[in-house]
Amino acid sequence: MGKIKAMTQEWMDAYKAAIEADPEYKEIAKNWEGSVALIVNPDPDKGVPEPVYLFMDYWHGDVGEFVVCDKAKAESAKFVMTGDYARWKQVALKELDSTKALLQGKLKMKGDLPYVVRNIKVVNKVIDILGRVDTLWPDEA
Amino acid sequence: MTYDTDLSFNYYGPTKVIYGVDSSKDVEIEMGSIGGTRAVVVTDQGIIKAGLTDHIIKALGNKCVGVFSDVPQDTGVEVVDACADFARKGGADTVISIGGGSVIDTAKGVCILLTEGGSLRDYSGVQLLSRPQTPHIAIPTTAGTGSEVTNAAVIMDKEMGQKRLMVENYNIPRIGILDPKLTAKLPPLLTAGTGMDAMTHAVEAIHAIPHEPITDGLAMHAIRLLSRYLPVCVAKGDDLAARGQVQIAATMAGWAFSIAGVGNVHALAHSIGAVAHVPHGIANGILLAACMEFNLETCPESYALVAEAFGVREKGMDDMEAARAAIDAVKEFTKKIGHPQRLSEMNVTEDDIVKAADLSLGDGAIVNNPRVVLDASEVLEIYRKVL
Repeated sequence: MGKIKAMTQEWMDAYKAAIEADPEYKEIAKNWEGSVALIVNPDPDKGVPEPVYLFMDYWHGDVGEFVVCDKAKAESAKFVMTGDYARWKQVALKELDSTKALLQGKLKMKGDLPYVVRNIKVVNKVIDILGRVDTLWPDEA
Repeated sequence: MTYDTDLSFNYYGPTKVIYGVDSSKDVEIEMGSIGGTRAVVVTDQGIIKAGLTDHIIKALGNKCVGVFSDVPQDTGVEVVDACADFARKGGADTVISIGGGSVIDTAKGVCILLTEGGSLRDYSGVQLLSRPQTPHIAIPTTAGTGSEVTNAAVIMDKEMGQKRLMVENYNIPRIGILDPKLTAKLPPLLTAGTGMDAMTHAVEAIHAIPHEPITDGLAMHAIRLLSRYLPVCVAKGDDLAARGQVQIAATMAGWAFSIAGVGNVHALAHSIGAVAHVPHGIANGILLAACMEFNLETCPESYALVAEAFGVREKGMDDMEAARAAIDAVKEFTKKIGHPQRLSEMNVTEDDIVKAADLSLGDGAIVNNPRVVLDASEVLEIYRKVL
């Protein structure tokens, strides 16, 4: 199977499948409740002409809806994280630690910080899994 | 200390710092320099009774549109909302805080609400803001929090039953005025407690995962100044030279931890503060050495820097030996300045630490601790050592 174009529904499906296939995820995420949205700010020079909204539903170790969505749906998520395309790519490639990115203002997060901190292992796990999705990034296409 | 080849960081410290005896009299000039015309003064009743606001309000003249003095020891979301309403009604375009950490953090919350509107509860998150907030001039009357230069504010949310940590680069005070006279009347215990807050910021900035050479340098010199001058301030409060050096140290430590972060000491101190109302600086001072012991095996090289700054690293010591000397130095230092040694001295109970241990796992500070904290039982063990 070839590389999947980032931030498309096919890519979201592959990401969801990778999480479901991970042997450790279910146990690590057993206490996590709630949806997460990622908002990718546009960067026309890098092949992202419009903002991209991604919605992911996580519930007690199960994964539900994983969709490319509109702004309203993204903003309805329990946790909304926003950042420039280049930053998200760095996070996905594990070149940038997500916690460090938040504290340095490279990413923004709306939501209950103590909850995220308490479940930081879940956050790290899903980022780790994202790195396994064979991705074709817009600026590399 | 060596740094990884993939070291990367953003150092951002935009606050203009004005230092000097009687420098607080220049507040109106400084306000003009950032375009302010109508200031609300945020303070507390104790500061007013101590007479620390009179000359500042006088200097502001008719540019002071009101004084909000209902800030408690541990500020809360409701206090910030009420203060913002007060400032809005006065048409304030600048916020001037005169007080300790609680007052300055209240003012930080007010700056957001004056710019963005709503209640502080609408701003749950990290680095949410996307534009500069209402200008803030911070005039600290304690030497400890460093809040006059940091991007962080800690505000109690009774609904959550936890202190809310706000981190916003767009909401760092524009100006910090350090006037040693404003700290000269602090009693010895408060001097020691707030000073240990600064010491903890410095030590934690060195052991926190994101530490880097600039923050290490700031933190180490803060430790040098504190170890030399804080005992002088405790013994002789009106020594303005010593008071000034401790103020500068607190500001340097503030800059350091604003970039590098803090770790388990702050997570535990925030939590025991929320549960049992232990003053933040005193909680830090009691917990610091015990938390360093917890982290010792993970980051001896960091504590070796602390030992160097304390002047207790002897020739021939390896990092681990120096780190142990640093922990002993912290313990001895707290005794020397008459700082409380145990949480029970602050009426903390076993029930309190059980609740606080669980709470601490959700504190934003804990993610930067050098040793990963896996379970509340590990935190409870630290609390019990100092109960």
